[in-house]
Formats: sequence, structure tokens, C-alpha cells
Amino acid sequence: MADGVRISFTDVAKRYDLRVVFRSVSGEAVPGEVLVITGPNGSGKSTLLTILCGLLRPTRGAVSHVLDGNETAREEWRRHLGVVAPAMAVYEELDAMENLRFFASVRGMDRAGGRCRECLDLVGLDPDRRTPVRGYSTGMAQRLKIAQALLHDPAVLFFDEPGSNLDPAGKNWLKEAVRGLTQAGKTVVLATNDRDEMEWGHRRVALAG
Amino acid sequence: MSRLLAEAMAVAAKDLRTEFRTRVALNALGLFALTVLAAVSYTVGPYRITAEDRPFLLAVLLWIVIFFAALAGLDRSFVKEEESHTAPLLRLAASPTAVWLGKLGFNLILIYLLMAILVPLFCILMGYKIMLVGGFVLILVVGGYALAVITTIVAAIIARAMTRGALFSVLSLPLLLPLLIFLIQGTAGASVGTSETVVNTLRAVLSMGGIMTIVSAMLFPVVWSD
Amino acid sequence: MRVADILKLLLLVWLAIVIVAAFLYVRPAEGFIGESSRIVFFHVPMAWIAVLAFLVSCVTSVMYLKRREPKDDIRASVSAGLGLLFAVLATTTGSVFARIMWNAYWNWDPRQTSITILLLIYAAYLALRGAIDDPERRASLSAVYAILAFVTVPFLVFVVPRIYWSLHPDTIINTRGANEFDSRYTQVLMASLVGFTGLYVWLYTIGCRIETIRQRRRQEVL
Repeated sequence: MADGVRISFTDVAKRYDLRVVFRSVSGEAVPGEVLVITGPNGSGKSTLLTILCGLLRPTRGAVSHVLDGNETAREEWRRHLGVVAPAMAVYEELDAMENLRFFASVRGMDRAGGRCRECLDLVGLDPDRRTPVRGYSTGMAQRLKIAQALLHDPAVLFFDEPGSNLDPAGKNWLKEAVRGLTQAGKTVVLATNDRDEMEWGHRRVALAG
Repeated sequence: MSRLLAEAMAVAAKDLRTEFRTRVALNALGLFALTVLAAVSYTVGPYRITAEDRPFLLAVLLWIVIFFAALAGLDRSFVKEEESHTAPLLRLAASPTAVWLGKLGFNLILIYLLMAILVPLFCILMGYKIMLVGGFVLILVVGGYALAVITTIVAAIIARAMTRGALFSVLSLPLLLPLLIFLIQGTAGASVGTSETVVNTLRAVLSMGGIMTIVSAMLFPVVWSD
Repeated sequence: MRVADILKLLLLVWLAIVIVAAFLYVRPAEGFIGESSRIVFFHVPMAWIAVLAFLVSCVTSVMYLKRREPKDDIRASVSAGLGLLFAVLATTTGSVFARIMWNAYWNWDPRQTSITILLLIYAAYLALRGAIDDPERRASLSAVYAILAFVTVPFLVFVVPRIYWSLHPDTIINTRGANEFDSRYTQVLMASLVGFTGLYVWLYTIGCRIETIRQRRRQEVL
């Protein structure tokens, strides 16, 4: 499919001054499939995810994003990816609509009001779009993050423990959403410890911890 | 280019909106400035400095208050993003230059707002007579800009470090000292009426601001994205 | 004996000669109180090295941002550490001199102000490095700060002294006053400058070597 992004990483390591997070991790995420990253707590799943989406530099190793056969520069990765992670928050002082409108305008999307409402509707937050995020339950906040990730219709989606704040209905919805994304040719990278979520993966990278 | 400006304005507007709803930086800046002003006015007052020393000493006091108020509040726009964990999503959504321009704009607004309230109050309370008012205003505008440019890039740097509070002042001061010296001189000159000093100051501060703008624009993506 | 050992020995001999010459070869200069002019042979080179170290830090910082090689970051941080040392030395010797000549340890004349700001820059740079635990981020952020600091320095060094009257004997830096001192004075001063530069290069090389080994050992853990 024309818009696919293939992500490959080889011999990636990350170390801070006082500790080593992981030593050598390799793998690949391809369009239409889910790459699952698993590992015990503290093994560096979130760190690896952060490196793969370009927000952190690895101590060693290479990560590449290939779009339509062309390798993309790190500064450009952000255009084709969306991320949902516990460590990445949306703006509490704004409401859902303001949050999405902000992300849309800062991504250069014109006249995005309709698209924002569409995404809110998709995650079931449309009725609450004018309430400040500060007043949201954790499940609602999580759904807003998902809406934010889908806003610009990216080719790659990164999920870090996405079901952690969702009720069973929400988790089912998420499962269907991920299936829909892979069927649409998107590349999905999912970091999780949840047994059910692990089943959604076509490929797996296990971190030792 | 207009796209970049539109994105920058979106960042600035978002910062203004959140700031307006929480008022943290405004409080920090305003409270600091007013408290120090009250203290200075009470202890020093309009009568204790001889007429000969007034132009210089009052210029010193004025700019010290402005600079320290700035150091109290201008790191907010970056530090808050890191502390609230909203920075990663912003990194993914916006281009670094748009973020820089937007936050610089936000800091400029804060600084000019501070000056608009503080400077007239200072002049009234301390009895500061300015002969070249036009020159004085220009110095404020240009000086405020240079102050904002420098503190914006430093704020971006320290937001990514660990012990943020003290670090902002420690890193900013060496870079701000030359600016401070020029501004004090120019203000003293404006007070007395020597237009040559004012012009020299404006030239120096403009070139400083200009160079720091260019260097910041080039280095900010490294600071933001690394 | 390797070339490095020969050079080290040469440096030792050179500096020893300089120190002896500073006290025995040269008469105290006119216009200075007592023997105080001799401090110039040490104070000026120290200030010079403080500035040189800063220059090296900045250049290697730019190179790090371009090439992202750890050795450039090592060079920048080692040079900064040495720069701080020499800046402190220059400030102290200058302060002692000021006390003797003008009865005050500190006066905020332009050169004293400039060296203070350089000290503050070094302290800030090292404080920044101490506050980041991600090695790559530490390297790039401190490189950025070094460049920012470097850009503000010309304003200090060139513009501020013009504005303020200076206590500093201008003749030392401006060669136009060269004929006010006898040629022995200039000889020893130049020799001292060369010697101190050699000292800096030696300390810098050792420092870089140590830091490289330290980093290599950390990589092995990885």
C-alpha cells in the first residue's frame, strides 16, 4: 500500500549515568501488522517506544522509518505518527475540543473543526467536549489521548499500555480500533503487559528486564 | 512562512489561554515586581538619593527589579510543559521553530505587560525624571526583547534538566549581565538627556538581540528535540 | 623515551626557567609598587588560558553538534574544567595585585568584570552538566549553552571596556606601550605565555585521556 511506513531498529541500547535500561534490541514493524513489545516492569518498554518514535536518542544502534521506500529524517517522523502513552499528557486546563483544535492547528491542519469532532465522536467523548480535561476520569482522558493520536490520520500508531485505564467495553472498542487500523494498512507498535493485548500482535519483541 | 507564523501563534495562544486560567507566571512576575518595588520605595524612597546620583542609581534599581521578575516567571512556559508531561505530545505535533516563536511571543507579552505596569509605578514612587521619554521607551522595548530572547532559549535548556529552579538564574545571569550593563547606562542617559548614550545603548542592545535571535533560532531545534 | 615524555620534560624545564627568570632575570617595572609587577608573569598567562580554554570548549561544542562524536563532548567538558581552574587562578592573582596596587581586592573595573562573567559562565556550564543524567542530552545541551555564552562574550570584551574607565594597566595588553618595559620583561612574559599554554595542552590531553577511558569502561558495562 502506498502510504505504509516500515520501522526497523537494530542493536538499540539505552543507558543513563547510573543504570542500563537495555543492551541490544532489534526488530521491525511493518504496515498492516502490530508489533508488540513486552517485558516486565522496568525493562524499558516505554523507553524503547520513546526511542522508536524519535523523542529520545538511543545510546547506540539505529532506527529507521521508511516511507514508500524512502528513508525519512528523524525530524520528519512526527508527521506520520501518533502516540498514546501514560507519560504523555494532554492539556488539563483546556477542554477536549480546545486540545484537539490546538493539536490540529499546530500540525498545520486547516479548518479542522469538523475533523476534531469526528475524532471525539469516534472515541465517545463528543458530549464532554466542552468540559476541562482536569475534570475527566482517567478513562475519558485516555480516550482523549487516543483521539489526539488519530487526529491527523497518521501511518504509524504507537500505544503504550493503552488499555490500562479503560473498562471492559473500552478495551473491546480498542481491540476493534486496532484491528481496523491494521486493516487500513497502518503500522501499529504496542507496548504492553496485558495478556489479551499481547494476542493482538503479529510480531513480538521481548525485553529482558 | 505564514504557515509557520500561524503555528507559532497557535502555540502562543495556547500558552496564553492556559496561563490566563491558572495565572501562575503572572502571579510570580507581578507579585515579585510589586513586592520589590514596595520594599525599594519604602526603604529608599524619592528623597534619600542625591540628585546627582539619581539617574544612575534609579536606573540600576529599575532594571534589577525587571530582570529578577523576569527570572521569576519567564521559565514557566517551558518548565510547565515538562512538569505536566505535555511536552512530548507538543514535540510530536509542532515544528520546533513554531514552538520557539510561539513561546518567545508569549514571553514577550509577559515582559511587556510587566513593564507597562511596573515602569510607570516605579517612576512615580521613586520620583524618576526622564528627559528623553522617547528614547527611554525605545530602550524598554528593545531591552525587553533582548531579555525575552535570551531567557527563552535558556528556559528551554533548563526545562530538560533536573534541578530547574536555581539553574534558570544561574545559566541566565552570565548571558544577561552585559545586557543589563547596557540598559542601565542607556536609561541613565535617557534620564539625564544625553542622546548619544541612548543611541549607543540602542545600537548595542539591538545587535545583541539580533545575534541572540539568530543563534537561538538555529540552536533551539537541538534543545527541543534532543 | 617517547616524544610525549621528552615534551613533558621540556615543559618542566621551560616553566622552571620562567619562574626563576621572573624573579631573578627581570627588574621590577616602573609604576608598580615594590615587586608586585612580577605577578604579571603569571596572572596574564592564566587569564589568557582561561579565555583560550573557553574558545576550545566552544569550538569542540560546535563540532559535537555537527558530528555527534562523544570525543568532542569530552574535549569540551575537560577544557571547561581547566578554564574554570585558570579563571579562578587569574581572578585570585589579579585580586592580590589589586590589593597591593590600589588597596582594594575588588573594584569591578572592566577586566575584573569580564573575568567574573567568564567564571560565572564556566560555573553555569558545569552546573548544567551536573543536572542532566542522560549522557547524549547532557552533551548537546551543554554544547548549546557553550555556544550561547560564546556569542555574548564579544559584547563584554570589546564594548564594556570602552565605556568604563579602567584601572588595569593597559600597556600590558596593548603592545603600544611595549617600549615602557624593558625587553627582558617582554621576553619573560612571552616565555611565560608559551609555557602556560604548554601546561594547558598537557593537562588537557591528560584530562581527555582519563575521561575517554572512563567512558569506555561505562560502554563495557553496556
